[in-house]
Amino acid sequence: MNGKELKHHDCRNFIPVDVAKGICNVHKQMVLIDTPVCEKFRTLPKCKNCAHFTADPGQDTMGTCEAEKTKPWTFADLITVTCENYSAK
Amino acid sequence: MPKKIADILKEKGIPINFQYGGTAPEELVEREVKKEPDPRPKKLLNLYFDTLSSATVEFPYWYTRKWKELEGDIPVIRRATAMKYAFSHLTPTIFPGEKLVMGKARYYRGSFPMPWESEGYFLAKEDELYQAALKKGSASADEVSKFGSGGGNVTKSFGSVVSIAGKFGIREEEVPALIRLSREWVGKSVDDLRSKYEQMMPDYDFKEKIMRSVICMFESGFTLPLGREVINYYYPLQYGFDGLIEMAKERKAEVAGNAGGDGVIGMDRLYFYEAVILVLEGIQTWILNYAKEARRLAAEETDPTQKAEYEEIAECLEWIAHKQPRTFREALQLIYTIHIAVLNEDAISGMSPGRVGQILWPWFEQDIEAGRTTEEEVIELLELHRVKMTCIDCFASAGVVGGVLSGNTFNNLCLGGLTRDGRPATNRLEFLILEAGIRCACPQPTLSVLYDEKLPEDFLLKAIECVKTGTGYPAWMNNRNAIEFLLWQYGREGMTLEEARAFSIGGCLETSPGAWHELTLNGKTYEIPGGAGQPTSVGVHFLANPKILECVLFNGRDNRTGEQVYPAHNRKLETYEELWEVYKQYYEMTVDVLCRANNIQHDIWRKNNMSIFHSLLKPDCLTKGHHIGNLGIRYNGTFNVESCGTVNLINSLAALKKLVYDEKKYTLDQIREAILANFGFKTAEEVGNYSLVTQEKKEGGEVWDDIHTDCLLAPKHGNADPYVDAILKEYEDWFCDMCTKYESLYAKPLYACQISVSTHGPQGAVTLATPDGRLAGTTYADASMSPYPGTDRNGPYAIFTSATCWDQTKSQNSQLNIKVHPSAIKGMEGARKLLEMTRAYMRAGGFHIQYNVVDSKVLRDAQEHPENYRELMVRVAGFTQYWVELGKHIQDEVIARTEYEAV
Repeated sequence: MNGKELKHHDCRNFIPVDVAKGICNVHKQMVLIDTPVCEKFRTLPKCKNCAHFTADPGQDTMGTCEAEKTKPWTFADLITVTCENYSAK
Repeated sequence: MPKKIADILKEKGIPINFQYGGTAPEELVEREVKKEPDPRPKKLLNLYFDTLSSATVEFPYWYTRKWKELEGDIPVIRRATAMKYAFSHLTPTIFPGEKLVMGKARYYRGSFPMPWESEGYFLAKEDELYQAALKKGSASADEVSKFGSGGGNVTKSFGSVVSIAGKFGIREEEVPALIRLSREWVGKSVDDLRSKYEQMMPDYDFKEKIMRSVICMFESGFTLPLGREVINYYYPLQYGFDGLIEMAKERKAEVAGNAGGDGVIGMDRLYFYEAVILVLEGIQTWILNYAKEARRLAAEETDPTQKAEYEEIAECLEWIAHKQPRTFREALQLIYTIHIAVLNEDAISGMSPGRVGQILWPWFEQDIEAGRTTEEEVIELLELHRVKMTCIDCFASAGVVGGVLSGNTFNNLCLGGLTRDGRPATNRLEFLILEAGIRCACPQPTLSVLYDEKLPEDFLLKAIECVKTGTGYPAWMNNRNAIEFLLWQYGREGMTLEEARAFSIGGCLETSPGAWHELTLNGKTYEIPGGAGQPTSVGVHFLANPKILECVLFNGRDNRTGEQVYPAHNRKLETYEELWEVYKQYYEMTVDVLCRANNIQHDIWRKNNMSIFHSLLKPDCLTKGHHIGNLGIRYNGTFNVESCGTVNLINSLAALKKLVYDEKKYTLDQIREAILANFGFKTAEEVGNYSLVTQEKKEGGEVWDDIHTDCLLAPKHGNADPYVDAILKEYEDWFCDMCTKYESLYAKPLYACQISVSTHGPQGAVTLATPDGRLAGTTYADASMSPYPGTDRNGPYAIFTSATCWDQTKSQNSQLNIKVHPSAIKGMEGARKLLEMTRAYMRAGGFHIQYNVVDSKVLRDAQEHPENYRELMVRVAGFTQYWVELGKHIQDEVIARTEYEAV
């Protein structure tokens, strides 16, 4: 994963306050989502980080969950901390 | 420089006065009572102040995914399974410092769209679906509704954040999923299906014209199908979720395959009980996911105090996910969790907690007696509850959330009232609720006192202390009026006097039926109240009374849109009686068509989108085995007709009667010409201000001065003037009776509901000048009994005389708001005067009064410098809201209200 693409809301230590910012639970301070992450970054389970996710051809936001028989559509940024099928890539 | 109306009136010596009882001091006067929140709630409230309204598609994504998978199954099972799946997959977030946890969505002020209700309005304006929605009348209210641009409203997109529905921010990464979800519900949502079936009404086009003209600005069936009602926390508080699942399993076994003597819906009981089990299991998983998150955070936390707090949270949630709460804190966490769960099941505004001080009394009493807690700890928890409730956002269209609700969610917590056997129901915990409301001033839950002559003086004075903070709460509701109304409306459904005493207020001031329940805690038995009625936010809602008069005057035509809304009456309107007759005819046509359309909307809702969790909480759904749509709830006659702009209508009728019919000073055509010319003034939109006083004269507009002066000087409501009071009485007698001619889909008669919420802003915006001298586009008088700003010249007791010239118990409510300068009620003497004034209104038969204790200069300064007033709250019409989150129409109207310098 390219570190430059990572955002704070991709990090397990991030507590989302709103669509623009949240609290870093490591540094105990407010951070903007769209600012560079630090060396304490830990991957938050999301579809895009799951072995069962296949991105749709030609773009990277939408895709398919291959874990289920019905192969439902899903999206890369769906948080999957509660998903029973999540398997880290 | 163009002349403003205030200067013109001053020159003419017209007694329009925006202060009564003296002159306000020149300097800014702060509110007398001001306390600070305790440190923990203060920190969390400060976090709220810095938080944006944020939407996510997490819930709708999981819901829709499961819903699609179950195609072909029975709707209630399909919905329950989808609901279970969605609740089970929500991402839990816990914020540092919280003791009460959980939320609608993962953000602090999070919410989400429900495309199964309506999917078009949150799409981009360029989208073809949005354009299609606009052609339907329902989108017209969106176009004239405005949000405040401050506070947490995301009215414009920025960076990676996209603004939707004029208020909410969503991450751009989620937008493609939102579009895909909304497209999946095209043709299947309640909105789309109702549109299809409403078109089978022969007068569908007429209904859509009414919506486009914004004569009506709210359609409940696909926007907010539930709400302005009182929740019932009893069953989970008594039995715990495990107990309820067990109960449902037993009943399921009993009813499987048995019609139970009911050949129509008897068999439905099996599916309902199965749905109950599914939804409860989903809610349990949701709670336990939060418990897991608390355990995870505890494991990673290095600060021992915070670590212990996370562990306490986990322990609390692990217990209440299954069992009856053991402590006050667990009980408070459980009722908050139930509240949020109901709000996640459907789009709802005004799901009121009810009489929380009486509901939680058993835990409070036993914890205090056992030394498990202190009053200070309880106050802190109640403050935290206030912060969590304030974080609730309701996701709906701009017209609904902005135009009707001003972003408010109307979680009304009531105090006082009577017990089943007629004793005062106040208790020590209710004092602490007031204290928490004073210390932690924030909009939710708003507070109301169910005023009864039997309530103790020290409690009433504590409530007055709270009023003096300027928060706008508690509002004062007349207990006796409410009981009388309830017995009249629900007597036919078996309500007794004892049960009527269990009522509470749903939403801002909707009298809602309740029931008493026997609760046992550690072997001791108590009786607690809870909601027992369907929503009252349903029916024919927000009819713009002055706009209908405008159509009468112009032969059925809406001059703003150029559309012929009503069939031309072609009457000369030669007498006042003829005018009034045509008005009633147009009005009844309006209610008739809207009532039928609303019935279709709610019928589709109950077939495809019925509430399950909300239903099982209320008596007698679990006993009967039926959800709300199958009349499982005890009281079902809750649909109503809601009006707006009553006082401008009455003042206009008085002006016409006097100037055209009695004195014959002007012809009706002259009045019409003056209205079309806006009495020589610019439009409010041109001026950029929506109150009468700031309107500007057009060049050459002086030719209309005489007629405008006469219209302004015609008798006005609120002055104990028999001329205009008789017109109000005639209107109210007709209106309250007329509503009962119409029948809801549950075959119950409608009734009158008279509150404006925020609709006096947008509905005023679409109305031309009115014969009372009000100018085009300006806001109507707020509420239903509040005088038009500046026209009440004889003091508060004269307003009371006018407002009680009719029998207010014939309506679910009526609404009176008064703005009082802080110096007018200073000290204990001022407090007692305010209480006596309140008492006088209640004794005269008024249903509701509330006070805005504020110096108008503060409001003007706040409008110019919103950045300095993030915490300023005002009372609008039945609700308290942050100033910076109000649209300009409403801000202007609140500033313009008459300020009382003495009471």
